[in-house]
Amino acid sequence: MQLLFKPEIQTHFALKDVSFNVEPGSFVGLIGANGAGKTTLLKILSGLIPPTEGSTRVLGYNPFERPLDFRRKIALVMGQKAQLWWDLPANDAFDLLHAIYDIPDKLYRERVQILSELLDVKQHLQTQIRRLSLGERMKMELIGAILHWPSVIFLDEPTIGLDVMAAAKLREFLKVFNQREKSTIILTSHNMDDIERLCSRVLILRAGELIYDGKPAGLLREGERRLKVRFSLVPDLEELSRITRLPLNQISVAMSERAEDPDLAPETGGVYFTLKQDQIVPVLQILMQHGTIIDMGIEEQSLESVIQRVFEGGIKP
Amino acid sequence: MNWRLAALKNGFKDYTAYRVEFLMEILGNAIVPAAIQWVLWYAIFKTDGATELAGMTYVQMLHYTLVSVLFNQVRGGDQDFELAEMIRTGQLSNYLIRPVGLIQFIYIRGVASKLLISALSLAIGIVLSVSVLSSEASPLRMIGAMLLALLGNVIHFQIGAVLSAMAFRWEDAYGLLMVKNMAVSILSGELLPLNLFPESMSWIWKSTPFYLYVFGPAQYALGEWTHLEFVRQLGVAFLWIFVLWVLIRFTWGLGIKKYVSLGG
Repeated sequence: MQLLFKPEIQTHFALKDVSFNVEPGSFVGLIGANGAGKTTLLKILSGLIPPTEGSTRVLGYNPFERPLDFRRKIALVMGQKAQLWWDLPANDAFDLLHAIYDIPDKLYRERVQILSELLDVKQHLQTQIRRLSLGERMKMELIGAILHWPSVIFLDEPTIGLDVMAAAKLREFLKVFNQREKSTIILTSHNMDDIERLCSRVLILRAGELIYDGKPAGLLREGERRLKVRFSLVPDLEELSRITRLPLNQISVAMSERAEDPDLAPETGGVYFTLKQDQIVPVLQILMQHGTIIDMGIEEQSLESVIQRVFEGGIKP
Repeated sequence: MNWRLAALKNGFKDYTAYRVEFLMEILGNAIVPAAIQWVLWYAIFKTDGATELAGMTYVQMLHYTLVSVLFNQVRGGDQDFELAEMIRTGQLSNYLIRPVGLIQFIYIRGVASKLLISALSLAIGIVLSVSVLSSEASPLRMIGAMLLALLGNVIHFQIGAVLSAMAFRWEDAYGLLMVKNMAVSILSGELLPLNLFPESMSWIWKSTPFYLYVFGPAQYALGEWTHLEFVRQLGVAFLWIFVLWVLIRFTWGLGIKKYVSLGG
């Protein structure tokens, strides 16, 4: 009864002290674990919600004032929110957007043709949206979002749920569009392929804080490898640090890599060592003297694995 | 094409995407209130033997039933529920980023089917006015009555828009909108002519704009209201539209600041 009259309200800050500038025409990746604040940031930048503190300027406008000119120049695509009407074919929705954005007829027809060909959905323009596959629907959403040739495009997980082919096609399209039209694109994605192949700059959010702002390559340290060793007995990381004389931040517990496991669990006995090439043999020799090794392997550093470690707090960028 | 026309066209296509469903909705809206009224009038006049009820005869009651069914079709739809749901689920974001007036856009898209229905209802009403209805009824009166019913449609949406803005604060306004719809069923005259209300209680329906949806248009179409009264009621309708427009701007202006665009 108490909850009925006095609901319990908890305030949670989704973003803290986030500050950055984006150059026109750039392609920026916004990444972070679930709940890191990526979508909130996009909502603020696109004017859907105001920041509780601080200010934002996009194309010289205060987004939350949502002036008509601002709305004409931006696009927001949210992978989990359909913008087109479920029971109508995409063409009907595009016709309405044509009128809303007052796109000249000839230009409108050209754009629909170009975009539908580029994304390989021309044959589905007359099909009800609900009858399309997820990938086809997402491509239609993207066409609908950029028909007016926006100067700034916010993409929130546009490749979510897409198969490899559809995601690749969408990525290719975004790359071409960004290069050809010089639109500024801010993309959030959990798919590191999207980030690696498209973005010249990455912003990493962790628990609402901007912890990295730079080139994706800047996260990879040159010449570093990851040595993965699985011991018969679960070792103590501090003890491993002492015997190998490696700092503790270069040693971490290996996490389960099962894709279906949403909460990564420690892998029994598995430990990662981040090393230079010439450190690998000496470290292995020391480890073999101190315990029984069941399995070992050397991994190249992928952006994905680096970012995963950043999210887990194992690396300070 | 102007975006308003394009939205009308788009809305019409959307509402008629499933033709059988569209027709069933029209028939359902016509048959249910008509059946309720007919059963009631039959019981009172034929079974119970009454000759008059609130100054109306059996035939007059049946005429009211016929005409009220036509105007009931024009009564506002469920766009207010749609608005509240969009606020709750965050789907409103899709519209907020478009360079059009949000409330206007939702209304125009939603009213498209009602415009077609009102044209059909008007045609039927005109035929009825020269064939079945009393001599006071006329095609001109039917046109005026339909205009009033259309203004009622605007008012209905506006009230719904104001109430749906509560979803910004409460997250859900479904219950509130349902209560409003129940009040509309009773106070619009779609189920019973409002002159059945005792005189001492007539202030209840007179103090809401709901009577402008069905009862008012029916009164004018059946010749119960003078032309002067009709013009006065048109003025009342426009006044409600203005007041509600101000209220929409106020409630949505406040509400949008609380919008959180859920559903990531």
